[in-house]
Amino acid sequence: METPRPMLEADGLTKRYEDGNLALDHVSFDVYPGQVYAMLGGNGAGKTTAINLFLNFIEPTDGEARVDGIATHKEPLKAKEKLAYVSENVMLYPNFTALQNLDFFARLGGNTKYSKDDYRQVLLRVGLEEEAHNRRLKGYSKGMRQKCGIAISILKNAPAILLDEPTSGLDPKAAVEFIRLLESLREEGKAILMSTHDIFRAKEVADVVGIMNEGNLVMQRSREELVGEDLEKLYVEYMTGYMDEVA
Amino acid sequence: MFATLFEKELKAILLSPKFVATFGVCSLLILLSVFIGVQEYKAGVDQYDTAMQLAEQEVREATSWWGVNNRAYRQPNPMQIFASGVNNDIGRLSNISTWTEVKLQQSAYLDNSLFAVFRFIDFTFIVQVVLSLFAILFTYNAINGERESGTLKLTFSNAVPRGQYMLAKFLGAWVGLVVPLLIPITLALLIVVVLQVPMTGVEWSKLLTLIGVSILYFTFFIMLGLLVSALTKRSTVSFLVLLVVWVLFVLILPRAATMAAGQIIEVPSVAEVESQKDRYRTDRWTAYGEERSAKWRERMEPAEGMNEEERTQFLEERRPQWMQEDDDDRQVMQEEIAEFERKVNEDLRNRKAEQERLAFVLSRFSPSSSYQLATMNLAGTNTTLKTRYEESMKAYRTAFAQFVEAKRIEERKKLMEQQRGQRRVMIFGGGEEALDVSELPRYEAPSHTFPEAFGPSVIDVGLLALFSVICFGGAFVSFLRYDVR
Ligand SMILES: Nc1ncnc2c1ncn2[C@@H]1O[C@H](COP(=O)(O)OP(=O)(O)OP(=O)(O)O)[C@@H](O)[C@H]1O
Ligand SMILES: [Mg+2]
Repeated sequence: METPRPMLEADGLTKRYEDGNLALDHVSFDVYPGQVYAMLGGNGAGKTTAINLFLNFIEPTDGEARVDGIATHKEPLKAKEKLAYVSENVMLYPNFTALQNLDFFARLGGNTKYSKDDYRQVLLRVGLEEEAHNRRLKGYSKGMRQKCGIAISILKNAPAILLDEPTSGLDPKAAVEFIRLLESLREEGKAILMSTHDIFRAKEVADVVGIMNEGNLVMQRSREELVGEDLEKLYVEYMTGYMDEVA
Repeated sequence: MFATLFEKELKAILLSPKFVATFGVCSLLILLSVFIGVQEYKAGVDQYDTAMQLAEQEVREATSWWGVNNRAYRQPNPMQIFASGVNNDIGRLSNISTWTEVKLQQSAYLDNSLFAVFRFIDFTFIVQVVLSLFAILFTYNAINGERESGTLKLTFSNAVPRGQYMLAKFLGAWVGLVVPLLIPITLALLIVVVLQVPMTGVEWSKLLTLIGVSILYFTFFIMLGLLVSALTKRSTVSFLVLLVVWVLFVLILPRAATMAAGQIIEVPSVAEVESQKDRYRTDRWTAYGEERSAKWRERMEPAEGMNEEERTQFLEERRPQWMQEDDDDRQVMQEEIAEFERKVNEDLRNRKAEQERLAFVLSRFSPSSSYQLATMNLAGTNTTLKTRYEESMKAYRTAFAQFVEAKRIEERKKLMEQQRGQRRVMIFGGGEEALDVSELPRYEAPSHTFPEAFGPSVIDVGLLALFSVICFGGAFVSFLRYDVR
């Protein structure tokens, strides 16, 4: 099969924060359409930093992040048209209902043709009960907000999806449903970059798994390469191994 | 894109729980202040009418032109309902007579000092103090609040141009806050119409301009809120900063400017000026007296050794000339005294004017002062209200005096004729019948045209616009580099 062009490319991506902290050190990886890329790594490994670079929330110190070949820090607006995003702690407008929030963000994402029914359907798809649709976000739990965030990212219908710990706050049932959702999005040909702490689920759904440690991509394996491997053991090995190397 | 952002801003304001409460309070305050203002104005008009009638009656009942005095009253001005300015602080009437100078006396606050303590809450006060707070309350977290709640990140994960976002923020907030405020303002205007406040076309145009300036002032605070919220990361910080700035602008700077001007340009007190004049007068008179004695001795020198008769003759011969000389000297001295007093008075006036000018210039660092000055100028209740009335009353006094003096001469002639042949002659006092006062000049309140009202406020309106533009420009620039995380 002819490999298409990667949808998301990190190319020598480096970020040194203003306080001198080197959060990302020449990291390179690709995510192809129809692929789920799971980024693992401890707290402060640089996962969020990488995602923020794709969104041009911060400027790279070196290298670049590309979306469909577009360097995000050069043409942020063009790149963002192709990106959907779910943050680790989705916050929406508390005085708006779920439907109003969805409508606003869908329009911002460039989709003006959705009907109320479309919104309801998406909300049901991410597992948000019907009775909550017309309630203000004020009274939502974290998991419910997370579901709304995921719904918004689906509505954008962008070719690339960035997920920063999307399952944080989801109950086990919802987490399983979310994995099914990811699979269906992959079917649709989306390129999905997801940071997570959930090794078990990562292995279940990911086509490629990357392990980050202190700003470096210390391991990257495809699903085939991971068959029969104990990812959890690998993870601990790489983390400590790298630590030893450094020491 | 812009429409979506704009619509969301609008909805965010209108749906926020604080909106109904604040909007309700503001509306109530505006309506109440205008309603009470109209009542006070009407009470003022009644008082004015009665006082005028009383004064006219007194004039009509006089039987001699020597006893005719009049009073001129300051006419209540419908604009005082909206911007009372110094209206309550300065006197409402002046005696008009040939004997006394024009001086405005009996101010409302002097009569009723309780009200002087808490002042009158007028429309401009509500705009200046309450609405500015209202604007801050709704904009202090416009940008950083969205960052804190994380919605800014989600918004800018989309292809949203920052300039458009900022513009939508501003326009959304502006429309969301100004349009609802137009409701109580319109109702307030309706109150004015329904309660039949006699407003001329000029006054309507002044009032509409005043409302426009109020909206401009309100806009400034919206921009200021946006600026500070785009300069800070946390809304608690921006709220504090804005509160401090608000206190500075609304409460401190105007007063500090006045105090600073008072320190920089010293104006002697009335007592000081009076004692200065007094001292000069006494000195001159003493000197004059001493001069006289010296001169007398000098004059009498040739009479030394004369006998009584020669002396008397010597004196008799020279006395008229000496008296003339003395008189001339005295006149010169008195003229000099008058000149000195004129100079002192003028100096005082100049210094006061200079102090006032400096205070105004300094206070204009605060848009609040600019707003107050502009609205007072528009309403005609500014610091020139007193001089405007005093000038016109002085002119009236001159006309009045001319007329009365002429009548007095006539009256005396008549009296003399009546008394021809009698031994004892009365020079004052009239007959039994009342005078014909129909031709006595009547006092007309000075006019205050729209250009006269708007002219002096142009600079303040310009400053308000400039301040607003600077704030918005600053907010815009700072947001272009704002960290949305
Ligand atoms: N704004 C910032 N300024 C300075 N340093 C930062 C900033 N944001 C993150 N860092 C640092 O960069 C490093 C990477 O942080 P990052 O948030 O990317 O980690 P992460 O992998 O997402 O961690 P977690 O699993 O806890 O979310 C950390 O050492 C962090 O302290
Ligand atoms: Mg993170």
